[in-house]
Amino acid sequence: MRKHPLSLFSAGFALIATAGLLWPVAASARIKLITLPLRERVEIQLDHPNATLVEEERVVPLVKTIRAEEPNQVDFSWANTAIDPETIVFRVIGPAEGGRNAGMDVKVLSVSYPPNEQALVWQVAASQSGAARVRISYILGNLSKSFNYRAVAANDEQTLMLSQYMRLQNFANEEFLSNFDADKGANLWAGWGRKFTRPVGINETKEMLVEKFARVPVRKTYTCNPAEFDYLDRPQNKLRVPMHYVLKNDKANNLGAGPLPFGKVRIFIEPKDPKDLAMSATFLGEDWGRFTPLDDEMKLYLGVAQDIVVTRTIDKSDRRRVAGNLYDHEVVIKYEIENFKDKPVVLDIQENLRYVRREIPNVGDTGRDVQWKILPATDLEGGVDKEKSTFEDVLFHIPLPARDTSGKAEKRVRKLHILFHNEW
Amino acid sequence: MKRQSAAFLMTALLLVAAAPRLATARNVDLSTVPRRDTVQLTIYNSEDLTLVREMRTLTFKKGLNGLQFSWANTLIDPSSVEIRFLSHADTLDLLDTTYPHDKPQMLSWNVVSEFDGDAVVEITYFTSGITWSADYLLTSDADEKTLSFEGFVRVTNNSGEDYEQAQVRLVVGTINLVEKIAQLARIRMDQVAQLESSKREELRRSVARDAMRMPQPSMSPGVTGSFAMAAPEEKKIIKEGLSEYFIFRIPGTETIPNGWSKRLRAIDAKQVPFKVQYRYRPAQYGDQLVRMYLFTNDVPSRLGSAPLPDGVIRVFRLNGRDGLSYLAQQDTKYIPIGDKVEVNLGPDPEVIFELIKLRAYRDNIWMQVHGANVFRRVDDGAVDIEVNSSVTGWDDHEVFTQRIRNYTAKPIEVEVRRSFSGHVDFRSSLPGVKLFDFQTVEFTTPVAAGKKADCLFEILRHQGRNSKQNNITLVNAEIFIP
Repeated sequence: MRKHPLSLFSAGFALIATAGLLWPVAASARIKLITLPLRERVEIQLDHPNATLVEEERVVPLVKTIRAEEPNQVDFSWANTAIDPETIVFRVIGPAEGGRNAGMDVKVLSVSYPPNEQALVWQVAASQSGAARVRISYILGNLSKSFNYRAVAANDEQTLMLSQYMRLQNFANEEFLSNFDADKGANLWAGWGRKFTRPVGINETKEMLVEKFARVPVRKTYTCNPAEFDYLDRPQNKLRVPMHYVLKNDKANNLGAGPLPFGKVRIFIEPKDPKDLAMSATFLGEDWGRFTPLDDEMKLYLGVAQDIVVTRTIDKSDRRRVAGNLYDHEVVIKYEIENFKDKPVVLDIQENLRYVRREIPNVGDTGRDVQWKILPATDLEGGVDKEKSTFEDVLFHIPLPARDTSGKAEKRVRKLHILFHNEW
Repeated sequence: MKRQSAAFLMTALLLVAAAPRLATARNVDLSTVPRRDTVQLTIYNSEDLTLVREMRTLTFKKGLNGLQFSWANTLIDPSSVEIRFLSHADTLDLLDTTYPHDKPQMLSWNVVSEFDGDAVVEITYFTSGITWSADYLLTSDADEKTLSFEGFVRVTNNSGEDYEQAQVRLVVGTINLVEKIAQLARIRMDQVAQLESSKREELRRSVARDAMRMPQPSMSPGVTGSFAMAAPEEKKIIKEGLSEYFIFRIPGTETIPNGWSKRLRAIDAKQVPFKVQYRYRPAQYGDQLVRMYLFTNDVPSRLGSAPLPDGVIRVFRLNGRDGLSYLAQQDTKYIPIGDKVEVNLGPDPEVIFELIKLRAYRDNIWMQVHGANVFRRVDDGAVDIEVNSSVTGWDDHEVFTQRIRNYTAKPIEVEVRRSFSGHVDFRSSLPGVKLFDFQTVEFTTPVAAGKKADCLFEILRHQGRNSKQNNITLVNAEIFIP
């Protein structure tokens, strides 16, 4: 059964077109001859990060304007819904379909704002009687969106399938349904990816798949950084080694359709044999995916790699006077690293030198930037990663072999020699 | 007999006949409840998190189908509920998922089907209230040369409802969660973005999950039949690595009533060789000498099939009279395959560990003349010392013996670590003495059965302006006691 069109506006808006002769009357006693143009189409534009733009398209009947003082009144009002009145835009698209509307010229003459009402009135002149297609757009509050992702990694963790979902939360006290097809509704678009035509009920939250990216290459990283990730077991000097999945948002990596908005990413992994019913996809962890522009990387922390054991100690701390109370400090950090995994990995060792300076007795945090130099006795493979190191962060990449078949892991001892200059 | 619990609603999956606007409950015209085929629990020990996977066979009509999934008095995270089509995946399309605001524990799926017929779907979601833990039982032989090592996993059901015939998998490892599942499960979908924290006690209270009830046998072929015949064999837990984690899979299905725990053996190794060592490491074990059992989780030690999850270790020893002596209990952290296992048994009353100061004196004393930047050393013998001067630097000498008395019947090995702050010279002739770090000395000494060992060393601490560093220097020197 088709619903009465009036019921579509139970909590929301009313668009009323009236004949020109009824103007001007005081707002509180405005008499209206009501025709209620149906919503032909609704577009909900969700591409702005903080605002939702609604665009309604309607066919409005108009009477030929003979005198400028007696234009058509198009009355737009709303109740219990958060329309920003400053953002309401009325655009005439053109004459409606039909031969009798051909050639109709429509102009918006002015807009009036009646007092004490959530309404406004457009004065519209028409060159002939007929119907015009108009579009009314406005920013609507309490209709918001968020994003979340589901990633399913292949069992070898080389690639993953990334599904991006948009969740629309409608607390605007308005429903967006089609007058003509119960399964249709508003056209929804996040600014990229699929466009949806779905009904959105009052106080509903709806989740839709926006994009699916297949075979996205994944780089798995293991990083130890005491300043950022702390110790796993401080009395034993064992560092926490988090594992991250790193995705690059570009076309070469099967992404690059647009920036990836902020949202929660849940990561699963396929079993070895996809047909193995007993080993379904296993949840690996979740993290907040930060907003990732094109060509940037999204780094997702899944959990702790407990099979890589890194023990960190300060092996040496020597002070040399330069003059007066001005000193240089030589510090050696020793790492004892064991990879108990059955595969070789690369371990990223990152040190924040301001943090290291705080560990030097009687120096602490002076508030000044660190002035430092890596000494040649450092035996971390490959040297500093110059691209990713900064004025106070240094990064090394250490390849580690797999454990042997009996389970024994090679213990690698590496030292980082640093000279801190000019401290007092 | 299956217990009936009338106080809660079932987790229900309703299949609604195709009708306009199927997304809202008010338009439901007809519903059928498809039977549940299998349920699988994947339980994590690092977080209060269980991934539930259900498989059901649903009948679809060509066109639009509405599915309604609801739960009551149950801690399910609504943002985690997912549906996947295991059959006919190319002819079924999920249009959207709708969460009605007025029905907080319900969601609807709109699915378009290109065919009439049955399809198998998988529904997964996160819940909380079910946990697992590991514990270990070590029994040493009387000579303390080898031990038997048993590892157990215990699944605890505090959900408020019985679990019958569920496939169970346990995940070993530390995963990252950005929001606690139990918090998410208590709020409506629309409030996911504005979370409030819940008390942990309230989270465990009355979590009822009828979804875990299994009216049908599991899909695992063969195992259920043998289980139903009361198989005499103990289940062997299958262990597999997966990314950073290990999965302990319990074959077949398990029934765990509400409030109960079920403990299964996961590891069973006999005659694991181990070593006994005594250690003094105040930073780790406190200011006491402790006895340690040391062995390795590897194949030569008859272990090494899986990492050892975090858990509790209880240690016993055969006392040679067909009985057991209880030695210790401690918590253990995750131990990878190939890594060392170190069990702290606490102090041994038969080994006495003492630090005795034998001598103390000062030298290398420097004076500063008042009002002048002039310094003079006191003991160089050739200088007149000003009366108006003060000590500004000196060296403190302390001679110690680390005395260890071994009243056991076996020789022992003792490792000592001592930290000294400031500018220190550690003088000794102890064999093998080394620096553990820039402020910590380490040495190891054997002590014969029934004997005593004295480890002599001298601490020379530079004080005042004599102090130039903040580290220890090892100096090889014979220490004599006058």
